[in-house]
Amino acid sequence: MVDLDRVRRDLEAVLGPAAVVDDPLERRLYARDASLVEGAAGLLVFPTSADEVAAAMRVAHDHGLPVVPRGSGTGLAGGATPLNDALVIVTTKMRRILDVRPQDRLAWVEPGVFNLDLANHLAPTGFTYAPDPSSQQVSSIGGNVNTNAGGPHCLAYGVTSAHVLALDVVLPDGTRVRIGAEGPAAPGYDLRGIVVGSEGTLGVVTAACVRLTPIAPAVRTMLLDFARVDDCAATVSSIVGRGVVPAALEMMDRGIVRAVEAFAHAGYPTDAAAVLLVEVDGLEAAVAAQAREVEAAAHDHGVGTVRVAADDIERALLWKGRKSAFGAIARIAPHYHLHDCVVPRTRLTDVLVGVYAIAQRHDLIVTNVFHAGDGNLHPLFSFDLSVPGTLERVLAAADEVVRLCVEAGGALSGEHGIGLEKRDFMPLVFTGEDLDAQACVRAAFDPDGRMNPHKVLPAGARCGDFAAAALARAGVLPEGTWI
Amino acid sequence: MDLIHPTDQAGVVEAMRAATTVGMRMRIVGGRQHMDTGATGEIGTELWTTALDRVVAYDPAEMLCVVEGGMRLGDLRALLADGGQEWPVDEAGSATVGGVIAADAALPRQLRVGCLRDTVVEMTFVTGDGRRIRSGARTVKNVTGYDLHRLLTGSLGTLGVITQIALKVRPLPKATRTLVTREGGIELASLLLDACPLPAAVVAEHDRVLVRLEGWPEEVAEQARLANEVAVLAEDDPAAWREPPFADATTVARAAVVPSRLAACVEGYERYRALLGVGYVWIPCDDEQALGQLRERAASLGGIAPVVRGPGGVGAADPVTVAIGGRLKAAFDPANILDPGRAWSA
Repeated sequence: MVDLDRVRRDLEAVLGPAAVVDDPLERRLYARDASLVEGAAGLLVFPTSADEVAAAMRVAHDHGLPVVPRGSGTGLAGGATPLNDALVIVTTKMRRILDVRPQDRLAWVEPGVFNLDLANHLAPTGFTYAPDPSSQQVSSIGGNVNTNAGGPHCLAYGVTSAHVLALDVVLPDGTRVRIGAEGPAAPGYDLRGIVVGSEGTLGVVTAACVRLTPIAPAVRTMLLDFARVDDCAATVSSIVGRGVVPAALEMMDRGIVRAVEAFAHAGYPTDAAAVLLVEVDGLEAAVAAQAREVEAAAHDHGVGTVRVAADDIERALLWKGRKSAFGAIARIAPHYHLHDCVVPRTRLTDVLVGVYAIAQRHDLIVTNVFHAGDGNLHPLFSFDLSVPGTLERVLAAADEVVRLCVEAGGALSGEHGIGLEKRDFMPLVFTGEDLDAQACVRAAFDPDGRMNPHKVLPAGARCGDFAAAALARAGVLPEGTWI
Repeated sequence: MDLIHPTDQAGVVEAMRAATTVGMRMRIVGGRQHMDTGATGEIGTELWTTALDRVVAYDPAEMLCVVEGGMRLGDLRALLADGGQEWPVDEAGSATVGGVIAADAALPRQLRVGCLRDTVVEMTFVTGDGRRIRSGARTVKNVTGYDLHRLLTGSLGTLGVITQIALKVRPLPKATRTLVTREGGIELASLLLDACPLPAAVVAEHDRVLVRLEGWPEEVAEQARLANEVAVLAEDDPAAWREPPFADATTVARAAVVPSRLAACVEGYERYRALLGVGYVWIPCDDEQALGQLRERAASLGGIAPVVRGPGGVGAADPVTVAIGGRLKAAFDPANILDPGRAWSA
C-alpha cells in the first residue's frame, strides 16, 4: 500500500512545496483529458526542469507509484487520464524554447511549449515547425510527441515523428537519456521512433529537438465546392493521380460547413454537399503548376465554384473556417464526441456513407471535417448528455464507426492515439502475438509497468519469457543467450 | 557457409524456429549492399531473402505499395514508374527493399523527399525465434500502438527478418536536372544551398559541387537560374550524384554531424562527399588509425562515424541506449542467433 503522505513529503523535499498539489478540486480537474473518460488523479507535480522531473520519477520509483505524464490535456483518447490515484507529472511549467539553430535546421524546446507559439517564434528565421494539429494554439510539444500528432499539413510534410530528431527522456527509474541525435543518424536502435507516439507509457520527455522546415516562398489556398459527396472524394484521388501532393487537402461536409459559416463567416458555400480546402505551396512556379492541376481535377468531377484566396487575409479566413470547426459545433448541441480513424484514400466515400447510416441508426447528428488527403476521417457526433440514454447511443455508434473503418482496411487512429478509448479495440487490428511483441517494447523501457499503466495495450498483452520458451524447445540454452 | 533460401514467409518462420532451437547463428542477406555495416566477421549461415520478391498490393491512388522484403529496388522502380511514382531510395538496383530498410540507407535527396524511416508505414517481420509480427497499417497516417517497424528500420538484421513492407511512395518529379561546378568545397556548396530554394540535393566534394534539382519544369528552371547566379554550373551526368562514393577505397565511413559542422568534419581530408543541409559525409579511411581519428573528430562535433564499407564496425553508443537495446534484442532474438555482435558497443 502506497503511503501518499510520505510520497508527498518526499516530493516536496525535492521539488519544494509549491510544486506538489493535493488539493481535491485540482486533482479533480486533472482527472481527465479532453476525452469522455474520467479517472482519478493522485498527487499532481509541476516540475520546472528536467532535473525536477528526474527527482519526481525517482520518488515514484522508490514508492512503486504509477506515473502519468501530461501536457495541456487536449488529448482525445484518454491517454492523459490518470487511473488509480497515479502521480500526475504536469509539464506545463516547462515552457522554454531552449535553442533555435536555423543553420542546423533544428530547435530544442521544453515539452510544455505550445505548438503554435513555437511556429510563431520560428517565423522570423524563415523556418517553421511543420506539424499543425487543430489544437495547436493550446496543445504542447510534449503531448504532440507522445501522440505523434498530425494536422492538416501532414499530407505533404509528414506527421510529428518526421519532425523529431532527438528527445531527452527521463525513464521510469529516474535515469536520464538522450535518444536520437541532432545529426542525421543516431547510434543504436531507433528508440526515438518508438518513444514518439508512445502516449506517455515509456518515460517523460523533458526536451525535444525538432526539425525546422523552410517556409515555402509561395502558397495558394483554394476552396472547391461540390453538389455530390462522392465527386468531392473522387477529386481527392484525382489530384493525387495527377502527381500533385498538396500541402493540405481537407474535406468538410454540409453539416459542418453550415455550422462553421454561422460561426466564422468565411464565405463557405452552405448549399454544397461537401467542400474541399486545398493548399499548394513551394516556389511560385511550382504553386502555379500545382494549382492548375488541382483545378483540372476538380473540373473533371463537376466542381461548382473554385475560390482562390486572393491574399493572406482571405487565406487566413478560409483556414479560420476549417480550424474553428470544433468550436462551431457547439451551436449544434452541447456535447460532442470526435472520432479519428484512417482508411485507404480510395474508400473515403464508402466509409462516409457508412458513417451517415450509423448516425441515423442511433439518432445522432453527425458532421464530418477531415484530412481527406490522408484518408483520416473525423466523424463528429453532436448530442446532449442530459437526455437519458444518450451516452449509450454515442458509445454504440463509436463502436460501429471503429469497426467500419477497420473493415475498410483502415487503422484505429490516425493522430489521436489509442489511450483508454480504443485500447480494447486493439485485437481488431493486431494478433495476440503482435500485441505481446509490443508489450516487450514497453517492458524494455519500463520493466515495472508503472508508466501510464492500462493505456494503449489491452489486458493480456504481455512480454513472455521467450528465452525460456526457446530453452524448452532446445533443451539447452545456446551460447551467448541474452537474459 | 550454409545457405537458407526460403521461398515464402512461412519458410522464414520455419527456418528461424529451427535455428533458435539449435542455436544456429545466422546473417540475414538481401542484395549484399550493406554487408559491412556493423558486421563482425564470418557467420556460419546466411538466410537469403531474395526469393521473397512478390508485389502484394499496389494502387497508385493510395500512394502506398506493399511488397515482400526481398524485392530488388530495380524491380520496384519499374513497377512504380508505371504508376508515375517512386520510392525515393537511390541505391543500386540489385539492393533489396528489406536490406536498405534494415540498413536505414541515407537518402541523398533527403531535403526534398525526407528520411527513409518515414516511408515505412507497415511491416511484417519474423523474430529470431520464428514469431511472425506485424506493426503499423496500410494507411499514410497511423497512431496505433508501438511502431515496431521503426525499431526494425536500421536494426541491421539483428532483431528479425523483414518479410513484408508497406511503403509510402510519391509522384515522380515532372522534371529533373543535375548541375555541377568546376570547383569544390563545403563553402561553395553552402552558398549554393542558400541561393537555390528547395533543391533535392547539394553534394559537396573536394573538387566539385553537384546540385540536384527536381520538381515542376518551371520550378526547376527557376532554381537553376538562381544557382547560376552563385557559381558557373554545367549539366552533369544525371546519375553522378547517386553513385556510391569511393569505389576504390577499402574502408569508407559515413559520418553524421549537424549540417553547420560539415566543414569542420572534412577539414584536412583530401577526399569526401558531403550532403549539405543534411549532415552526412562519406570519407575514405586508409587504416584503423585513420578511422579512429575520424571517429574522435565526429564525436567532438556531436556526431558519429560508422563504417559502411570495410572493417571497423559502427562504433560506440551511450550505455543507457545500449542497455535498452540489449533488452529489445533479448525479447526479439532470445537465442541471440541473428548476427550476434553486430551492434553498437557501450
